[in-house]
Amino acid sequence: MNPSSFEYFAPKRIEEAFDILAKYDGEAKILAGGQSLIPLLKLRLTSIPYVVDISRIEELSYIRESHNELHIGALTTIDDIENSASIRGKYPIIFDAASNIADPLVRNRGTVGGNISHGDPSNDMPAVMLALGAKFTIASARGDRVADADGFFIDTFTTALKYGEILREITIPGRGTHEAGCYMKNKKTAGDFSVAGIAVQIRFNNSGTIEKAGIGMTSVNPKPIRAIKAENYLKGKKVGDSVVREASRLVVSESNPSTDFYGTVEFKKQVLAKIAEDAIYMATDRAEEN
Amino acid sequence: MENVKIRSRVNGKDIESEVEPRKLLVHYIREDLGLTGTHVGCDTSNCGACTVLVDGKAVKSCTMLAVQANGREITTIEGLSRQGKLHPIQEAFLEKHGLQCGYCTSGMIMTSFWLLRKNRNPTEEEIRKNLSGNLCRCTGYQSIVDSITYASKLMKADETEKEGIMVEQ
Amino acid sequence: MSSYFTRAKDDLAYNERVFVEGRGHFVDDIIKPGALHMSIVRSPYARAKILSIKGGMSSKDLGARMASVGEGAMEGKNSVIQPVFATGYVNYVGEAVAAVFADDRYKSEDLLDSVEVEYEPVKPVVSIEDALSSPPIHQGLKSNIISEGWRGKEFPDPASPIVLEDVFMNRRIATNPIEPRGIVADYDGKVLSVWISTQSVHSIKEGLCEALGLGPDAVRVMQADTGGAFGSKGGLYPEYVIASFAAMKYRRPVKWIETRMEHLSSTSHGRGAKGIVKIFAERSGKITGLKGEVIVDAGAYGAGMGEFASRFIATMMTGPYMIENAHVKSTSVLTNKVTLGPYRGAGRPEASFFIERMVDKLADELKVDPVDLRILNSSESKFRSPLGMEIDAAKPFLDQAVKELDYRRKAKSTHNIGFSFFVLVPAFAPGETARVKVDGGKVSVWLGGNSHGQAHEVFVRKLVNEELGVPENLITLYRGDTGMLKDGVGSWGSRSAMVGGAAVISACRKMKEEVITKFGKYSVQSLLSGAFDVYVNEEQKGSLNSFGANLATVDIGKLGSVKVRECAAYYDVGRALNMDMVIGQIQGGMAQGIGQTLHEEMAFNEDGQLLTASISDAGVPLAEDIPNFEVKVAQNPSRLPHGAKGLGESPTIGVPTALARAIEKASGKRIRETPIRPEHIL
Repeated sequence: MNPSSFEYFAPKRIEEAFDILAKYDGEAKILAGGQSLIPLLKLRLTSIPYVVDISRIEELSYIRESHNELHIGALTTIDDIENSASIRGKYPIIFDAASNIADPLVRNRGTVGGNISHGDPSNDMPAVMLALGAKFTIASARGDRVADADGFFIDTFTTALKYGEILREITIPGRGTHEAGCYMKNKKTAGDFSVAGIAVQIRFNNSGTIEKAGIGMTSVNPKPIRAIKAENYLKGKKVGDSVVREASRLVVSESNPSTDFYGTVEFKKQVLAKIAEDAIYMATDRAEEN
Repeated sequence: MENVKIRSRVNGKDIESEVEPRKLLVHYIREDLGLTGTHVGCDTSNCGACTVLVDGKAVKSCTMLAVQANGREITTIEGLSRQGKLHPIQEAFLEKHGLQCGYCTSGMIMTSFWLLRKNRNPTEEEIRKNLSGNLCRCTGYQSIVDSITYASKLMKADETEKEGIMVEQ
Repeated sequence: MSSYFTRAKDDLAYNERVFVEGRGHFVDDIIKPGALHMSIVRSPYARAKILSIKGGMSSKDLGARMASVGEGAMEGKNSVIQPVFATGYVNYVGEAVAAVFADDRYKSEDLLDSVEVEYEPVKPVVSIEDALSSPPIHQGLKSNIISEGWRGKEFPDPASPIVLEDVFMNRRIATNPIEPRGIVADYDGKVLSVWISTQSVHSIKEGLCEALGLGPDAVRVMQADTGGAFGSKGGLYPEYVIASFAAMKYRRPVKWIETRMEHLSSTSHGRGAKGIVKIFAERSGKITGLKGEVIVDAGAYGAGMGEFASRFIATMMTGPYMIENAHVKSTSVLTNKVTLGPYRGAGRPEASFFIERMVDKLADELKVDPVDLRILNSSESKFRSPLGMEIDAAKPFLDQAVKELDYRRKAKSTHNIGFSFFVLVPAFAPGETARVKVDGGKVSVWLGGNSHGQAHEVFVRKLVNEELGVPENLITLYRGDTGMLKDGVGSWGSRSAMVGGAAVISACRKMKEEVITKFGKYSVQSLLSGAFDVYVNEEQKGSLNSFGANLATVDIGKLGSVKVRECAAYYDVGRALNMDMVIGQIQGGMAQGIGQTLHEEMAFNEDGQLLTASISDAGVPLAEDIPNFEVKVAQNPSRLPHGAKGLGESPTIGVPTALARAIEKASGKRIRETPIRPEHIL
């Protein structure tokens, strides 16, 4: 199948994009890497009269560190993230997710901003951003605003981005000395959507007690969500089998999967429980290595 | 909808065309340029039969608009051989029978080309992981993995030979 | 006609090299100015009454019915033949309701929305169980049963102490060649010329002639390079008839290229068989009798594999074993799903799954080694099974297989091991045709069965060289063309190297005689200096079976994910005409065997809607999902002059059964179905 007709714009500057969006009030759609939107257009599941291709706005593609924070331009490709030594070294949780999205060819075009702003509960980056407590800089003709990842995901395919707004940057807070994370997902075949995915970021104090935990979940809820009860529970605890088991139980209690071709509710919960445990241990191991 | 003018460099040649915005890159390549070696095998960006290089990176040309190729450099399967001489990857796929029906082959070779450029000596595991955007239904993948491993050897031998010539000169 | 392609005019040979250069001649590569592109309006319902159709070409324009041709074709009077366009009712999601035509594929897809179809949905019949308990889906039938019969003779239950019974299911799967189906049809006022991706140009021609009421001289069918088929490109489909009809009506070339979504919904699925098996055995392990029933989910219409498959599976239910008594019922039922067709193995893997699972169950019951049990039930000499199969002495091969696959040592070192044994019954009869022509110092060959990835050209060059002494570089096998070879069967059922090879040899020998008649004696020079043209229809009767065995070991992760550690094969391939090709066929088939066992399924919900609507959902395995294979072959020559045996389907028969057993051992859960989902073994 192939797309129905649309008018196409390829602004080179973000301000031009705002103008086009404003001109076709409510009817234009932003195209970045196209790895989600083009398949939808091809299957004619959606039809859009005006496509604004922002992939030529070069100023939106970068990975920078400053003031102990990591700044990622929304148009940075997943492949660039996967190959960034600083991300791999300091934020293995992002690397884990990036290197497991779809396949290498899709990662060569797909962007981190697209992965987030599509609002697909089976996309991997949203859970990672929730676990990291990321902030999103959202640009529009009215200027920039900053939104927390928490609260950004409103429903399936719906985010806090309003018409006319473009995700500009993802800001990841600085990493503590004894802090690390990981992202794990379970899928049936290598190229499949995940049955469930989990992102865990943990900060320990010098004595090995958890200071802060961030947990995000993929594919087990109509939208990407945090496991807040499990995060709160972990605070002040030391990692041990019973603590991890209880945290995993809480994670599952906060999920809301539905039965579909990828598995029954029970199976998805079993999967989530197991990868939650594995991810907490893995994050702990990595934090100790720091 | 109005056609859009695009300029791109395809297999080393500068080409200017007018295309409908909705036209997929793969159809531009196949139907406008007549380069039918790039194939379509699915609707959902899974199979990779349409793999080409855009600015050196392997991508699925069915998941990209032709207009997005404006100003870019595109390499297709037809652009690999030089003056009738096969590229070592093409030779390797023939030698190690990395194909049966031949339909996924162009995509497999283009992905291999990109892979071997960034990793001259991939392990079997790395090869299999990097092929996760390309489906083959005939070979069971083993002969494709063997072909890529063999291609990496041929390419190294090629380089050694070239270096040898340069030293002699 | 050949000017349709970008490559040289006379370059219609099979040629591996063109594929690595991107110069293949696949049907979608025919880019002809002035051609119409066709798109099909398909039913969104599994079952509905069509109240009205506005726009497009539909059954009011073309009231033809399909023809039963190709693999598994049946001429049964009671069979339910599919109309080309849905007529009055739709009976599966994806059934062709109307067709639209435009200058390119984008525009023809735009036109899909212009056709208005009003439906009145009816509750569909989706499962085999529903089919047996529901009123018939088509008017005028008594039930949903479209074929029913028995194999073997009824016998009283033996007084054996062990009686075991179980129920098995191989769920439906899609064939999923990477090249979807496609056709270009053109009409010059006299002859309908068709380019197509196919396993048999002759079946397509026969089907088009019958469906459109055309004489044999009015249709020419030519094979484009065919990007895999695995059973799904052997027969006629509605789109072929519609495109041909439209080409004749509009007097413009018409092209139709299947999308993957269409492939999944509207190209015949394979498997879809349920087995109920009861075996009787002595404490020694000797199986004394087998009773059972096979029920096949034929989909919405009959006259093809769906009708035939249940009987075929029933015939093979005793596997390679010497079981004195067997009586098996075969039933095919109609459901509101796309028709069932052949998929690599086409009934053979199903039968093997049913018997091999029972043998493993018996081994567990008796607490003996399942391979010892297989040896015990194998015959030292050839015999005829009570269900009607001719089986050679099985035990010598099995003994050797146990050694070659190193089963004894491996079974000691791992618990998670499965071993399978099977007999391959290829589509030997009715033989095959070939044409060998010498002209201008070159040898040209056409075969009745058309290669779609098996490299028939390799064995043809070898056999012609062996028979006539002509150097291989002067021998060319051309793609299928009914204009160059008047009739033929097709490439399926593990048959081409056997029966196609035999036909080529026969043609060469006939040609040699002609050379001798003309020149007094034979020499390559005299052959090549002359002009000769020989056609043969080399008939084959009876069967020509071969044995195979597989071994698999697995690990199972905590989430029920199966890691195939080892997957090995030992098959009797007869004389291997080219060992590289033999190994390639086996490896590819083994990957499909793993796919069926672990991932592949076409799943429907209770409304008959397809849940698996992408090639990824359908479970086609990726490189990462597949291990390296260990392949060994025995070369016990067959009775054919070149010694070849069947091969292509062996891996899809042997791998699922060995793998299912390994997973059963590793998980402790009894395996009764494919695919084996992680939930089942957690």
